[in-house]
Amino acid sequence: MAVEFVTAVKVNAVQPGAVIAINVRGTPIAVANVVGTYYAFDDTCTHEQCSLAEGDLAGMTITCMCHGAEFDIQTGKVLAPPAPSPIKVYPIRVDGDSLQIEV
Amino acid sequence: MDRTYVIVGASLAGAAAALTLREEGAEGRVVLIGAEPEPPYERPPLSKAYLRGETPFEKSLVRPAASYTEHGIETMFGRRVTRVNSTAKVVELENGDRVPFDSLLIATGGRNRRISIPGSDLDGIYSLRTVQDADRIRAEMIPGRRALVVGMGFIGSEVAASLRQQGLDVVAIDPSKTPLFRVLGKAVGQRIAALHDAHGVRTIFDDTVTAFEGTRRVDAVVTKNGIRVKCDFAVVGIGIEPAVDLLEGSGVRIENGVLVDEWCKTNVDGIYAAGDVANHFHPVFGRRMRVEHWQNAFKQGATAARNMLGRRVPYDEVHWFWSDQYDVNLQYAGYHTTAEQMVVRGSLDSDSFLACYINEGRIDAAVAFNRAKDLRRVMLLIKTRRVVKLEDLRDDSVDLRSLTAA
Repeated sequence: MAVEFVTAVKVNAVQPGAVIAINVRGTPIAVANVVGTYYAFDDTCTHEQCSLAEGDLAGMTITCMCHGAEFDIQTGKVLAPPAPSPIKVYPIRVDGDSLQIEV
Repeated sequence: MDRTYVIVGASLAGAAAALTLREEGAEGRVVLIGAEPEPPYERPPLSKAYLRGETPFEKSLVRPAASYTEHGIETMFGRRVTRVNSTAKVVELENGDRVPFDSLLIATGGRNRRISIPGSDLDGIYSLRTVQDADRIRAEMIPGRRALVVGMGFIGSEVAASLRQQGLDVVAIDPSKTPLFRVLGKAVGQRIAALHDAHGVRTIFDDTVTAFEGTRRVDAVVTKNGIRVKCDFAVVGIGIEPAVDLLEGSGVRIENGVLVDEWCKTNVDGIYAAGDVANHFHPVFGRRMRVEHWQNAFKQGATAARNMLGRRVPYDEVHWFWSDQYDVNLQYAGYHTTAEQMVVRGSLDSDSFLACYINEGRIDAAVAFNRAKDLRRVMLLIKTRRVVKLEDLRDDSVDLRSLTAA
């Protein structure tokens, strides 16, 4: 399937400070709202597959609640182990009252 | 002249130290020596996902094997250090090789405590510390076989869970009143016992194994209370002893491990210790402690490296660890041996609670049963030693972050 922007969720479903998990074309993706800017990244922690949307978001850092791994939600980079590898991040844009994610 | 940093123990602590030395700009040689043949790996999966055959070993590597060379770290894996000569400043290897050092980190961890009772040298009795130990147990894990777990500490509890998840019959024996009794106490321990019961483990508490029976292989155990349990194999998890014999005669003070201060330094100039082996002074709690968990190995290894570079960074992490058993994510933070009071958020009988161990109005430690978020929030309260309102702590409708801010 070609990579394209897909309408994923309503803007108002992701309140400031919140992270939600959605499924976009079979991929669990977490969407975060950091003071009005949206970020989309893999919801699945690369350590033991816990949902990152269940985690704690502080600034640009998401902490996985299962074992404490930390990722930068802008770049996907691992900021703290035990995660062995980065997460994917996805381009996201606002289209009217919806959020579109490029997958 | 360039310094030589030698790290004995190619463990998580040792690897974290070696990599941190380079990341923080250490010049000169960094030599990482380990008795095990594998590159440094993380041990938590050995009792869980790796033991159940769900993840490959490579996923447990601290870093891909090649990254040590990439960072200019000389590695000597499968090589055992037998002696530290602190006067000549050399470590001596089993084969007689000598490696000189200017700065030395002891990250040798521990070795499994052995059970010495009649029959303990029979085949089919295992302990778990290394990936090779895990492989030996894995080879026995055939659904329907009868496994005996001796000791229900973290290793025993996790192994019992993994064995059940793989469809083996499991009997577990521990001299305490509950699993994890020493760390978590009776009330939480009973909840863990109920978890294992619910998953079909037959648990025997307040009793000890007095003999293994069998001709060549173990086929039964006998307990002090006269119970006889048949089994196809046994896994013994009764704790570790710090691996300190290489320091005999070195002048380094040993007392329940290697004694170090909050800068990970021993009493001998230029010699440091980190991880399971280090009995360290903790500035937050004002006492010494030796901690055998992942986060301590990782963070203390890194902090020791910074101190080896003269940065003088205190090691003051709030200790934290997890233990996944069945579908339960258990996490503990802080440090306590006794508690005047235990305050519970949620119910101990439910599938989600936080139990806090309180002394003099402060949270010394907390354990979360499927409640990691709450645990993360009390970690700050543990670190700051703040006196908390216990009724707020108990009240599930009070956001724990508001306690932090008070």
